[in-house]
Amino acid sequence: MTSDHRKSAASEDRRELRSLRTGFLLSHDQSPNAVAVEVAGESLSYADLYQRAAAIAVTLEQQDARGANANPDERPALTAVFGQRSTAVVTGILGILFRGDGYVPLNPTFPTDRTRSMLERSGCRAIVVDENAEKQIVEVVTGIETPLLIIFPERTDVSELKAALPNHQVLGTHDLESAKEWTPADVDPNGIAYLLFTSGSTGIPKGVMVAHRNVNAFLDAMAERYAVTPNDRLSQTFELTFDLSVFDLFLAWECGARVCIPTQAQKMLPAKYIQDSGITIWFSVPSTAVMMSKLRMLKPGAYPSLRWSLFCGEALPSEIVERFVEAAPNSTAENLYGPTELTIACTLYRWDTKRSPGECELGLVPIGDPYPGMEVLVVDEDLQPVAEGETGELLMTGLQLTPGYWRDAERTDAAYTVPPGEDRLFYRTGDRVRRCQGKSPMVYLGRLDNQIKIQGYRVELGEVESAMRDIAAAEVAIAVGWPVTAAGADSIVVFISNADADLGEIQKLGKTRLPSYMAPRQVRHVDSFPLNSNGKVDRKALLALLSGY
Amino acid sequence: MDEKSIRDELRMWILDRAGAEADRLSGDDQPILDEGLLSSLDIVEFILFIESVREEEVDIEAIEPEVFDCIDTLIEAFFADAPSASEPQG
Repeated sequence: MTSDHRKSAASEDRRELRSLRTGFLLSHDQSPNAVAVEVAGESLSYADLYQRAAAIAVTLEQQDARGANANPDERPALTAVFGQRSTAVVTGILGILFRGDGYVPLNPTFPTDRTRSMLERSGCRAIVVDENAEKQIVEVVTGIETPLLIIFPERTDVSELKAALPNHQVLGTHDLESAKEWTPADVDPNGIAYLLFTSGSTGIPKGVMVAHRNVNAFLDAMAERYAVTPNDRLSQTFELTFDLSVFDLFLAWECGARVCIPTQAQKMLPAKYIQDSGITIWFSVPSTAVMMSKLRMLKPGAYPSLRWSLFCGEALPSEIVERFVEAAPNSTAENLYGPTELTIACTLYRWDTKRSPGECELGLVPIGDPYPGMEVLVVDEDLQPVAEGETGELLMTGLQLTPGYWRDAERTDAAYTVPPGEDRLFYRTGDRVRRCQGKSPMVYLGRLDNQIKIQGYRVELGEVESAMRDIAAAEVAIAVGWPVTAAGADSIVVFISNADADLGEIQKLGKTRLPSYMAPRQVRHVDSFPLNSNGKVDRKALLALLSGY
Repeated sequence: MDEKSIRDELRMWILDRAGAEADRLSGDDQPILDEGLLSSLDIVEFILFIESVREEEVDIEAIEPEVFDCIDTLIEAFFADAPSASEPQG
């Protein structure tokens, strides 16, 4: 059997057992020396990344076998990865998937208590940590009694970390197992590929389980639509705790392309990063494009290398996409829409310079049509379909419908429902849309609840209010997005009625409890909350108060 | 405005935005991105603030990401012509 035949046979095997890692493995087999990832001036080939990830996978397997985890049978098939924008987290994610686990991304910019809560609720017994998260890891695991396996894949000397983490097993680069004889074990396509915590209205983040089959359906649709080739370079602007990061990493690897991860400093200047890195597929939240516009980065013809300009995560203002297309004249722009529960994105709309301005509503680009394998219902309050052209809540089902929330049957049942006259589960997005009519595409019109987007991040105002009530010892705290933008809001303002509260101190404490995008930019006092006709706090009146300041 | 005043202004803006106490920024060579004091969420307002202090636009295309490392690099990139505190100002 020739080498090519062996590769082909291996590829066939991998197709049968397809999971999120499969695309990477196939690309590795085909072009091991191609660059898979570029970050902070370092490039790793598919072979480099495979070797490093395999060493993590073998180590995770061996440590299970040796009993490092007290009850391997009870261990959820999940391992956490703690870090950002590093080769260590990228190899960590792949190593976890190679081992057959799903990954749970944790973010070092989040407050420590929030990260500890996510880690504990996930039930993970092992965690891969990069140098950006080293400072936090000791504090994060303090108080966690279950021994954890903590791997620092790019740290050669872990003696200090071992001393600081005496209750846990700490491994560095030299402690990783050899992967010479290793081959990946089977993975259940229905198993969890990643578990991603999102903002929860009750004050507790929800863990969205995304199965391998969900994300592979998404990647299939994307790979075909964008015809990604090994020559493409995909930008990776998102944090790992934002599910849009899955698009960049795994679509690139599915197609043998390169994913380019800007450092925090490079993220400040996306224009320069696109040009210097030769990005061909740009994917960001609209807020990044708004920022580029405000900072005069969208000059006509500035980005000739781009062939796709893709936006997702929040409403896309039409004036922004018009400017972006002028700056990237060789690219096609598309607006992608979708909540985490429907696997990254599930509808899309292609911008057409002549036709699209007439199809926009409220200055926003339509969200368009569902992906292959996805179906749409637009319903009224009784979950009955509305007529074409009418508005209602968007419900969706199909290949990308995720299994629900991790260990939270109550919230799963509330969000995943079987509408009257249907026999399948649909996810209730909470988004108000105008149903398409004839050739008119579906249009996003806003939320039905108090969820907002801050620069693309999903924020349940109820979660912010819960934290701020606690901090301020207030009976009522009301959060609003402010200033309001076409895409959502730039930040959050919280109102409380405690006359004697130290507002500055409360705002500072908010930063210790909530991620920076959720922490209120201002805390203001009101003598009494304005009420609407239903006796509820009138948020619009609070926004009007801010307009008057 | 002299260089010392500009350094004070930058320090106050960063600490205020981060909701942090003064001791979080002990020196002007302390990393502000790596320490989480500033993020890409703040970039527009930060650049506009720098422009208001400079009283002229920043040439975005000419700056390198490294200028955001710390206050020293910001001063070097955006306020290289500012007089030191001891120099007479005309």
